[in-house]
Amino acid sequence: MVSITIDGQKLEVEPGSTVLNAAERLGIEIPTFCYWKRLPPLASCRMCLVEIEGLRRLQPSCATVVAEGMVVRTNTPLIEETRSSMLDMLLANHPLDCPICDKGGECELQDMVMAYGPRESRFRDPKRVFHSKDLRLSPVIIMNVNRCIQCQRCVRMCEDVVGAVALGTVEKGMDTAVTGFEGSLASCDQCGNCVEVCPVGALMSFPYRYKARPWDLKETDTICPHCGTGCQLTVGARKGEFLRVRSDWEHGVNRETLCVRGRFGLDFIESRDRIKRPMISRDGTLTPVSWMEAGDYLARRLAALDGRAAGGLISPRLPNEVLYRFQKLMRTAFRTNNVDCSSRWSTPVDALVPLIAGFYSRAPLDEVIGNDAVLVIGGNVTEENPVTEYLLRDAARQRRTRLLMLSARPSRLDADAQAVVRMRPNAQGHSLAALAAAVAAAAGDALPVGVLAEIRAATGEPAAIAGAGTDRMASALAQAHSVAVLVSVDLLRSPEARATLQQLGNLLQLLRLLGKGPAMQFLFDRANQLGAWDMGVLPAALPGLQALADEHARALLGLAWGSEIPSEPGLDFDAMLELCSDGSMGPLYVVGTDPLISHPDRKFVRAALDAADLLIVQDAFLTETAGLADVVLPAAGYGEESGTFTNNEGRVQMVRKFREPAFEARNNLAIFDFVAALGNRPLQSPTEDEVFGEIARLVPAYAGLSPDGLGADGAFTRPAPTPPPATFFAGPPAPQPAERLMLITGNCLFHNGYDSERSEILNTVADDPYAEMSAEDAAELGVSDGDPVVVQSALGELTAKLKVNRRFPRGVVFVPENYRALRLSGLMRRGEYPCPVEVRAAGASNAIAPLAGSGKPEDLGGGVAGSA
Amino acid sequence: MFEPVLLRNIDLPDGHLLSSYEAGGGYEALAKVLREHTPDEVVELVKQSNLRGRGGAGFPTGMKWSFVPKQSEKPKYLCCNADEGEPGTFKDRIIMERDPHQLIEGLAVSGYAIGAETAYVYVRGEYVTAIRRLEQAIAEARDAGYLGRRVLGSDLNFDVHIHCGAGAYICGEETAMLESLEGRRAQPRLKPPFPAVAGLYASPTVINNVETLACVPHIVARGASWFRGIGPDKSPGPKLYCVSGQVRRPGLYELPMGIALRELVEEHAGGPLPGRKVQAVIPGGVSAPVIPETGLEVGMDFDSLAAVGSMLGSAGVIVVDDTTCMVKVATRIVEFFHHESCGKCTPCREGLNWAVKVLRRIEAGQGTAGDLEQLEMLCKGIFGNTFCALGDGAAMGLRAALEHFRDEFVAHIEERRCPFH
Amino acid sequence: MTMREEIEAAAARYPSRRSAIMPALLIAQKEHGHLPGAVLEEVADILGVERIWVYELATFYTLFHTEPVGRFHLQLCDNVSCMLCGAEDLLRYLEAVLGTEKGETTPDGLFTLSTVECLGACEVAPVMQVGDDYHGNLDIARLEALLESLRAMAGQAVSAEPAPQPSAGE
Ligand SMILES: Cc1cc2nc3c(=O)[nH]c(=O)nc-3n(C[C@H](O)[C@H](O)[C@H](O)COP(=O)(O)O)c2cc1C
Ligand code: SF4
Ligand code: FES
Repeated sequence: MVSITIDGQKLEVEPGSTVLNAAERLGIEIPTFCYWKRLPPLASCRMCLVEIEGLRRLQPSCATVVAEGMVVRTNTPLIEETRSSMLDMLLANHPLDCPICDKGGECELQDMVMAYGPRESRFRDPKRVFHSKDLRLSPVIIMNVNRCIQCQRCVRMCEDVVGAVALGTVEKGMDTAVTGFEGSLASCDQCGNCVEVCPVGALMSFPYRYKARPWDLKETDTICPHCGTGCQLTVGARKGEFLRVRSDWEHGVNRETLCVRGRFGLDFIESRDRIKRPMISRDGTLTPVSWMEAGDYLARRLAALDGRAAGGLISPRLPNEVLYRFQKLMRTAFRTNNVDCSSRWSTPVDALVPLIAGFYSRAPLDEVIGNDAVLVIGGNVTEENPVTEYLLRDAARQRRTRLLMLSARPSRLDADAQAVVRMRPNAQGHSLAALAAAVAAAAGDALPVGVLAEIRAATGEPAAIAGAGTDRMASALAQAHSVAVLVSVDLLRSPEARATLQQLGNLLQLLRLLGKGPAMQFLFDRANQLGAWDMGVLPAALPGLQALADEHARALLGLAWGSEIPSEPGLDFDAMLELCSDGSMGPLYVVGTDPLISHPDRKFVRAALDAADLLIVQDAFLTETAGLADVVLPAAGYGEESGTFTNNEGRVQMVRKFREPAFEARNNLAIFDFVAALGNRPLQSPTEDEVFGEIARLVPAYAGLSPDGLGADGAFTRPAPTPPPATFFAGPPAPQPAERLMLITGNCLFHNGYDSERSEILNTVADDPYAEMSAEDAAELGVSDGDPVVVQSALGELTAKLKVNRRFPRGVVFVPENYRALRLSGLMRRGEYPCPVEVRAAGASNAIAPLAGSGKPEDLGGGVAGSA
Repeated sequence: MFEPVLLRNIDLPDGHLLSSYEAGGGYEALAKVLREHTPDEVVELVKQSNLRGRGGAGFPTGMKWSFVPKQSEKPKYLCCNADEGEPGTFKDRIIMERDPHQLIEGLAVSGYAIGAETAYVYVRGEYVTAIRRLEQAIAEARDAGYLGRRVLGSDLNFDVHIHCGAGAYICGEETAMLESLEGRRAQPRLKPPFPAVAGLYASPTVINNVETLACVPHIVARGASWFRGIGPDKSPGPKLYCVSGQVRRPGLYELPMGIALRELVEEHAGGPLPGRKVQAVIPGGVSAPVIPETGLEVGMDFDSLAAVGSMLGSAGVIVVDDTTCMVKVATRIVEFFHHESCGKCTPCREGLNWAVKVLRRIEAGQGTAGDLEQLEMLCKGIFGNTFCALGDGAAMGLRAALEHFRDEFVAHIEERRCPFH
Repeated sequence: MTMREEIEAAAARYPSRRSAIMPALLIAQKEHGHLPGAVLEEVADILGVERIWVYELATFYTLFHTEPVGRFHLQLCDNVSCMLCGAEDLLRYLEAVLGTEKGETTPDGLFTLSTVECLGACEVAPVMQVGDDYHGNLDIARLEALLESLRAMAGQAVSAEPAPQPSAGE
């Protein structure tokens, strides 16, 4: 520790702290502009100058590191004069157009001048003017250079934190201006973090421009609904009208950052295809009715189906309370364990639950990635969980965390990684087995003899399967003191998911034996996926991820619920669809999700949904699935009901409503009660808080939590460490090299889930629907960047714009899942992933022989399941 | 008569060719060093010589070299500052054009001393002839085994590359130069870390001026005490003085450090033009505060000039005679700094802009009462508060003009016109 | 050597490709006369660096031109030493005979007139750089002769190859 004196007060601080940080600890305020906690100091604005005894000149406190015995003064007349002088100089050319500036009222320059500025300027000469009209850098970012004070926070955020390197600085001296290449930010991430950190009204949000004065906004702190990172944000609304999002600088995993989806993608709540009133299907068309009529109709139909199988599917984008109540409703009122929360992948509960119980780290991401090495498996974290990626970049650059990337898709983060291995999408389990074997080999003597032998027996000889990249990765893992593993849910898409998770378990187990205390977290693309699992929205697991087969758990829960829980194992959504197809499904209850868009084999799904006796859809938006429903119940949308999300970190955070449900929509909880009451169950109508209380009582990981106690940063659920069995699963056989291109899917930067497609703003900045592949494959196929191409599988085809990516591996094509218009699910086959496809220039004659079972995706007629 | 050291080949018709350089004993110092000295001994020798940097700041060269860590995982670099942008300065250009091997030998010896295998010479882009000559000389030196792998059969690997500037005075500031070499906008870097520890590509780096490096082979050849015997002991050596402006014989003069400014201007450079009188002299490029005629007795070395509130800087001596308006000179100087400000820090970027506006007004006869106080206030806000020394240079220059030639400023404001027109 | 090869050769001198942006821009400017956006993109592509980095440098340094310049770029130094030796008169003269203000190009595209900061040749002030060459100790008579010879040079070039454009200014 270093002891220093600031303004007469003594204190001890960590070596390496700056004078500014030390002053902050004493509550001494030093004004700053260019200083930004997350960024290396720039020390260019000169606002933070202080006196240091023994030094002739004033020193920038933001960049001056404390030294033993240092005596600092921050409040002398010279300092006051200097601060005032810096502000006077900044104002000399500042336009002072505060009345029409969006930033007026929340401008750092205004505040600083109030606090430290000259009361009167001596400047009399004409001001410099860059331009008279603001410059529209992108659809969402607009610039007024005249107001810029050159703190460079924006440019540094863009390069150092976001990694986009889209903003830059042109010219020099007085002409210095922040801008994009050739004055455009057309191809940036549009995350708007530059706008967020701009202290003045230079960089502005175009959608919000001239919309409001900050003091007219009612601000609500809540959680972003777009991915599992779970960023905190603040919604600004006026009389219930959504106006803007800004980040809450002090709190949450993200602090001041957000990605484009969070900052600009919340306008989906204003989308026009809201369901306004309940509807029932009459002669094949949906007809608006009152809630009472809908109730009568439903009661009649449900009564008729009593005793038939039922099933429920709900979106993991809904709050814990809603998810919890839904599975409870299904398990008690509908007396079935047929309940699931994903329609895009299978969830091998038997392999998943031990992983979560044994390794899931319910701790701040920032802490987790502070580990020596971070292994990121699968997906594309840059596009799928952008804010998580910012933290990873920061860890790699500033904290020297070794970043290891193992995935099929390349990402921007690869550039900061120490080892990158492109795994074949049909060989995920195999790649993990190879990595584990290589780690075991690299660790050598550090492992107990028996374990090495066991691992060898399970995975085979490492040399035979590992490549140079794998070896580098393995030795980094073996050398690291501690390891974090971040896993994309990409791994669950494949029918091999069970084997893949088992191999992941092997690797984690091995790392644990080596003393690396591996901390694992998933990188979910849905805001409350972990919550959904914790809430027991799974056919084979009860709340708390307790096995349904566990009689004791079932009995206890049944007792608490006052209702026996059926012991018969439930079906996952795919199996429920099978049941529908067989004509054996009574009511199928779908909440907040659109399986017709997302579940593989659109034809089959369509036919199955048609074959269900009673399709109930509860949603805020009119989805394609709702179009097939017998009953449609309008539910509150995001921002219209409160609750909690559990993010990737296992952090429970409050999602707050900022307006009442639109039109005749009702809270999801209220609708469940409404439905339950139809089946002669008493109406309970608990509040969200009461439901949370029940969760806290019955789900061990949530014990002790309460909505009031969540605090500004949320609160962490608790891991229930259960040592997993120390057995190693045998590795899957090496897959044959694919003869055709392999189609993989996932999320892209601008869209994630189907809510985002309802955001007008995201649609204006997003790429057109695209298919991405390597330059080599494109060249071989005679197609080039921007060309429309046809991607054709055995089941169907789609047309999209080609995006050539020089870093893409050969043999792989990526199409984002989230463009409804692409009807990607029409190409995918159930139980098959990656999907073999051909790609050709659109308009070119179909060079390949027609494949069996191919059909136009639009062709939904027939009502019979497609070949599978 | 002082016998030229650095300029001894300057008038040879083919002085830039290897053959001429070798004929005058060129590269013998390099051979001697490789044969007889360890790198540490060379550093010690340069320390003993009291050689101080000729780029402007006058930092002791041997001491700078000794900051380079002996053990380093990263390669070390030597950078030669040949960006020569200080108005009134042209010495480095003349060395590179007429005696480039002198610089290359200096680079090789210095590279050996600090353990660098690569040197970059950052030459301002306007110096096309110098660049060509240097390129040619590097090629010749490579062919002759003075550069490249196993220099002169020793274990030294050392090569020199040229990096052309593209018109930015700030690149002369050493950390801005490193940024520029790394392909960024040339804006100065925070120190610490100092370049000797983490400079180019975050590797240990020494940056020296052309003239500084050119001195090194002579110190090796003739010894440290010979060098210290020339001029003041604390600031010794042969020195190149660039004389320009309103004098009879502008030109480059090599004379001992510490020579009186008056002797330099009046004797060597021939004094003022016929019928005129010297009004003021800027002794070290426009960053150096102006000295009125009455102060010309000062000795031209780092310490003597600092003692009178000016500086030796790059020894660009600009003579201003009594027909010239000092307000105009001051305005032009501040305009220069304003134009060349990199824009990083507030006081330099904004303060100089403000000062220029006021100065232009005063010069045009539109000054108002209070303008001079405003300029003084600006100088106070700028001086000592800027990120690098560019802003300081501007503020010091303006302050000196306001102090020594206040009457002229006042006359402009009171008469509402320039008295010289 | 093609432009790409020249740039690759320059890049080989540095451990980082970003360092080669400046040399690459000098090479590209020699090839294209100035540096429009498409050329900047090409440079970024060849070096595999961010486009914005290239753009930043192309605008920071005064020797890079993102806009076209005339056949002869007259760069008159007007810093202190040259000013003391009469650079202002030379500027007024040039503006008058060329009919352009500083910073502009003559309508025939022959001359761009600029003033520049110190060229580092104050011993022969006033100085002007034209293309690669310095012309020192200038006075009006020498300037006249210089312009004459530049025009003659342009004329020769024009008659040697078919004139690209009948020049309006002559
Ligand atoms: C604004 C500014 C401009 C400078 N320009 C030059 C220059 O053109 N040439 C030079 O050698 N040093 C210049 N310097 C000094 C260098 O920063 C540095 O001190 C010098 O290159 C070190 O070499 P030396 O120790 O051999 O003098 C400049 C410094 C500043 C602050
Ligand atoms: S003083 Fe500041 S703005 Fe001026 S050149 Fe130095 S860093 Fe740049
Ligand atoms: S905050 Fe320290 S200089 Fe800007």
